[in-house]
Amino acid sequence: MKKIIGFFLLLWLLSSNTIFANEVTVYSARKEHLIKPLFEEFSKDTGIKVKYLTGKGETLIERLKTEGKNTKADLFITVDAGNLWYAGNQGLFQPVATNIIKSNVAKHLRDENGLWTGLSLRIRTIVYNSDKITPSELSSYGDLANKKWKNRLCLRTSKKIYNKSLVASIIYNKGEEKAQKIVKGWVDNLSSIPKSKDSHVMDAIIAGQCDVGIINHYYYGAFVDKNPNTPLKLFWANQNSTGVHVNISGAGVLKHSKNKKNAIRLLEWLSSAKAQNIYLNLNKEYPINQNIEVSKDMQKWGAFIQDKMNLSNVGRLQLESVLLMQKQGYK
Amino acid sequence: MQKAINASVCLIALIISIPIISVLSIWIFPNQDIWNYFLDNLLLDLLVSSGILLIFVAIGVALLGTLLAYLVVFVEFPMRKFFSISLFLPFAIPSYVLGFIYLGIFDYSGYVQTFFREYFNITSFNFDLRSNSIPIILTFILAFYPYVYIIARASFMRQKISIIENARLLTKSNLAVFFKVAMPLIRPAIVAGVLVALMETLADFGLVSLFNYNAWTVAIYSAWYDFRSIEVAAQLSSLLIIVIFFLIYLEKFARNKGKHYSYAITNRRIYHPKGWRKYLIMFIPLFVFIFALAIPILQLIVWSTEVIFEELNYQYLNLLFSSFILIFISVSIILLLSLLLVLASNNRYLNFIIKFTTIGYALPGSIMVIGILFAITNISNINQYFGGASINHLFFSSISLLIFAYVARFITISYRSINSVKKQIKPVFVENAKLLNGKKSNIIFSIYIPMLKSGLLAGALLVSVDILKELPATYILRSIGWDTLAIKTFELSAEGLFQRASVPSLIMVLFGFFIIFLLQKFDYKY
Repeated sequence: MKKIIGFFLLLWLLSSNTIFANEVTVYSARKEHLIKPLFEEFSKDTGIKVKYLTGKGETLIERLKTEGKNTKADLFITVDAGNLWYAGNQGLFQPVATNIIKSNVAKHLRDENGLWTGLSLRIRTIVYNSDKITPSELSSYGDLANKKWKNRLCLRTSKKIYNKSLVASIIYNKGEEKAQKIVKGWVDNLSSIPKSKDSHVMDAIIAGQCDVGIINHYYYGAFVDKNPNTPLKLFWANQNSTGVHVNISGAGVLKHSKNKKNAIRLLEWLSSAKAQNIYLNLNKEYPINQNIEVSKDMQKWGAFIQDKMNLSNVGRLQLESVLLMQKQGYK
Repeated sequence: MQKAINASVCLIALIISIPIISVLSIWIFPNQDIWNYFLDNLLLDLLVSSGILLIFVAIGVALLGTLLAYLVVFVEFPMRKFFSISLFLPFAIPSYVLGFIYLGIFDYSGYVQTFFREYFNITSFNFDLRSNSIPIILTFILAFYPYVYIIARASFMRQKISIIENARLLTKSNLAVFFKVAMPLIRPAIVAGVLVALMETLADFGLVSLFNYNAWTVAIYSAWYDFRSIEVAAQLSSLLIIVIFFLIYLEKFARNKGKHYSYAITNRRIYHPKGWRKYLIMFIPLFVFIFALAIPILQLIVWSTEVIFEELNYQYLNLLFSSFILIFISVSIILLLSLLLVLASNNRYLNFIIKFTTIGYALPGSIMVIGILFAITNISNINQYFGGASINHLFFSSISLLIFAYVARFITISYRSINSVKKQIKPVFVENAKLLNGKKSNIIFSIYIPMLKSGLLAGALLVSVDILKELPATYILRSIGWDTLAIKTFELSAEGLFQRASVPSLIMVLFGFFIIFLLQKFDYKY
């Protein structure tokens, strides 16, 4: 019995040890399989050990708030500009605007005060069935509200944060009244109740339940890898106006970080060309660093003009966007 | 001895109900603005859809669970023994996995509808699974009927078989025997099972969000994720607590009518249908077996075969080990504590305290976590008030917080299964022991514990599998390095990697099967 108790005590200690001095602790809303390869490479380059805990962005923020100034975490990685903005707004981050980050990351993709930084780009855009539609029929997010798409549109649920950010960007660019009309038009054009996943939207388009939808580009990337002959095609929205809506995964150094130096080093490293290529290969996310060339299969999707609005605005307008979508009956 | 038990029960109850009290305490400083917004715009709709869900899931699991239990206990048909055990197994398949697989099969783009469109050339065939409540209700029923089946089967086995035999002689209709005699006979067991299934349904978020169904939990998460207000999330959750209190008192009514004691285990069938009839009977469990077990498992196997060798690595040993340790420690603590709760004196105050303590199961896992986070902040603040340091971080540095969450959430299940067995112990045993001047401690160890064995085992089984499947609390509260199979399944499927996700979920399900077989082996002989 003593042995068993000793064994568990040992486990307990192991699970909470802080013996390694040269380390950095990361809380991450990016899933393990998408960050582990990055961290391993970082450790190889720098000798700094990375400990990490994954979770949902929203809940990790609550955990960080509760852990308070004694938290072990140094860096918080999350997806969606709204989450980053909110974490900044809640006072979780400290400003770190080093020259490396400034030169690697375009201005609209990081916080004005240096609280957080984008690390990879995810484009939320239009996907369509090329057997049924030619690209000339498509133009913008707003156009999908047009009556010609009646019963031909599939969308993911408005509860997904990517849609909240997209609509927030439309509110920012077009004003609330127009945004309301667009969302109303979408809802009227839906051919089915909104799906819970981007992949379900693609499945529905291929099966013919609808002809067009809105998704994050990397889901399409993964899908095409498996189904090279699919009639599904990406279309970059709003190329003649604001540019396509971009969202980010990003990170910020926590205010109560105990290893600030290492945290900044990791943040800088993640924005470097080497790390950006890993992002690219792992998940087909576009590099934050525009000097980096994307892979051949992604070049096929064509170049795009991105919406250059500062992503802080997305965070600021997210609540308004939620209210707007609920009011228009977007489930 | 009894006094010591009662006192410790009060203490345990107090500690375990901390998260619930925290959630309720939010009403001291409620967030009026957002609350009013919810009240005006969303709540009525959500109440109706949650109400529909609860009512039909209750009826569905009660009928299906009891019918299956009745068939395997009293009717002889081909493969009866096989079904008797395998109908437990769907319990090991998490409802979110089940829902995901059904969507893949029955959605517009799934095999079934595609087949109809292509082979019957009905291009307009379009049944949107999300457009009404039936598909999600059926999924819930198939996911949660085992709660009723497990308890009902154990209960039928311990009934006086002669009651059913006599009923059969007195009436010609087999249906009447089932509805008018068998079901009322084990009503407390059915109600207990239904209650657990309903608590699971109320707390579910994975399945309702997959179907984009507007259940109550959707509002809770909307408050948290959309409005960034964990306060309103807690306010909304506190209404769940009220609903559960109501249900628990309904259960009491169901129990009060009569006392039922258990008898030796029956291993004799009453019905011996002949010819095609026995195959017709067999069709019922077979149907459930196919939909609740065979199809999901086959789909997981199909998905995983393509990727299993790239996906499987030493990390999975780690995941399995984490799950195992968490289960082992938590189940030991939960069994011990729930045994104490069961042995507490039967008086009004203690009963109330215990009921209050055991409603944690109806709270969605993440809301229980909110309660825990509130409590930690408050404890730390109190400590600082008295001149101490901020201590919030200490709670997160080991798995103890997670284990506490498991105990607070799942103690209901084991308490209920042990208590339902205790109620069937004939008082005469205890009276005799008292007459023989037995000490309380002797009565506990030589009468209660041996006689409660089946309840303890059932509790251990249910709680183990529940912890194995648990996602939200584990995801938030674990410390670094304590990832579980459920977490791996979620992370991969959330990124659309369903084939890879099938590997951890298949391992999780098989591990669940293993637990079920193991604990069944300790219980009754077939």
